[in-house]
Amino acid sequence: MGTASDMRGNRRFRPVLLVGLGCSATAPLAILLLGSLGRDWFYPALWPPAFTFNSWLGLWQGGGRMASAFGTSLGLAVATGMLGAALGWPIGRLLAGLEGWLRHLGAGAAFLPVAVPPIALATGLHLSMLSLGLAGTAFGVLLSHLVPAIGYTALYFFGVFTGFDRGIEDEARTLGAAPWQVLWRVTIPMMRRPLAEAFLLGFLVSWAQVALTLIVGGGRVRTLPLEVFALLQAGQDRFASTGALLLVIPPLLVLGAIHLAVARAEAVPL
Amino acid sequence: MAAFLVSLPVLAGLGYSLVASLGLAGPGAAGFQTARVVRVLGERAIWAGLAWSLWVAGAATLLATIGAVVVAVRFRSRNRGDRIARLLAIIPLPIPHLVAAVVGLQLLGQSGFLSRLGAAVGLFHGPPEMPALVYDPGGVGLILTLAWKEFPFLALVAFSVLATRGEALEEVARSLGASPRAVLQRVTWPLLWRGLLPSVVAVFVFVAGTYEATAVLAPSNPLALPLLTLERYTDAALARRGDAFVLVLVGMTVSLLAVMAHEWTRSRWERLQT
Repeated sequence: MGTASDMRGNRRFRPVLLVGLGCSATAPLAILLLGSLGRDWFYPALWPPAFTFNSWLGLWQGGGRMASAFGTSLGLAVATGMLGAALGWPIGRLLAGLEGWLRHLGAGAAFLPVAVPPIALATGLHLSMLSLGLAGTAFGVLLSHLVPAIGYTALYFFGVFTGFDRGIEDEARTLGAAPWQVLWRVTIPMMRRPLAEAFLLGFLVSWAQVALTLIVGGGRVRTLPLEVFALLQAGQDRFASTGALLLVIPPLLVLGAIHLAVARAEAVPL
Repeated sequence: MAAFLVSLPVLAGLGYSLVASLGLAGPGAAGFQTARVVRVLGERAIWAGLAWSLWVAGAATLLATIGAVVVAVRFRSRNRGDRIARLLAIIPLPIPHLVAAVVGLQLLGQSGFLSRLGAAVGLFHGPPEMPALVYDPGGVGLILTLAWKEFPFLALVAFSVLATRGEALEEVARSLGASPRAVLQRVTWPLLWRGLLPSVVAVFVFVAGTYEATAVLAPSNPLALPLLTLERYTDAALARRGDAFVLVLVGMTVSLLAVMAHEWTRSRWERLQT
């Protein structure tokens, strides 16, 4: 009896949930698009009375401020993604090999940079970067982005290597493969998907970063999130929407590309 | 030991903040003294800011977790509809928090899209009648925005818990004669809860410390802990900048507690898997 009414509730509930999920995935982008293109869109109009491309054309105006911020962000994110994946790998592998209290301590140490509020992390890093002469430089900002990024990627590889069968590497070694051959021919091909996902993690940590860039960059390293943040605080909603769309497109493309590549390589139920 | 290098920058910052809070280094340093720590920790605004940040983080995490569990349980089969639902759920995953805040502002603001929708159906007669969801003392707009932003991550974890561990155990329970309701209560739910818990802790502590969404959507009174920290760190009065280090210590204490909670829940889940 109870089960039958559950089933009926379920049937009615599912379409509502599906519509909700559809809205959650598409409505924010639609709102940003309208906000970015709508002109004279005042209360209480539900739809903009006119459209303009001037916020998009403006990307290349004023010395190409937004366009160059986009480039800086992309460079930082790609570098953070690659270095984060490359450095998180050995750390995660080491952690996965630990036992007992060392394992707890190691996993806690990797989680710490993820858990610390970015503002708290940034104030500490800012002083270190000042003493190294790296505050206000893109390299200093990259180093600061790497701190949380490596925390994420190390934790991620920790999980991956915990379930990893080392016997396959041993087999290759028994068959006479040199250590670099084992890495290049056996381990890396098996780790293609985790490596791509770790790159995405590092990319996203850097791409979305505000607090670390703001403080360590000291206003001299202008990334796209900082420009959007400034536009928002200046009440330039249309330009902020355009910048926000620019912030959404690359990560969605990277996620889509990785999803497609993974789907082609293996059948993953998603 | 190289593994512990990951947390070295954080530990160095923690040590420096401790030294600076005690007046031994940094701006306004004047020899060992506990006066600054005592004064800052005695401020009402600090505790109000901390409590406010924890409230927002708790509420947003709870909403996102409920959403993730409901969606993961309802859309778990391999058929096309369920797969599309799961894809829709994780699409917002890579959207930066700042963008979530821009959307939150345009959707929930006083003259935002919801307010316009309310006006169109005759619910409100002007922006002031729209209940304040942005810069509001309760942080409702910020909570809703962050819950939406964190939901895809928790949903992704929930999907993977059910896909990798759920089916086999549920099959065993069913073959032993458990009713669908018993399977849900005795197998699916405990499994999901244990598998999700480390990620729930991570989301909670991340939301508590998030800066940009808070800066865009939160009220100025009470001022959330991350905003208060930055305010003191960039204070025009140099002597007050040292206050920021005490606030960093408060923030780090919350993080360290979260690290312990995360490790405890993670190792419990790890034991369950082997």
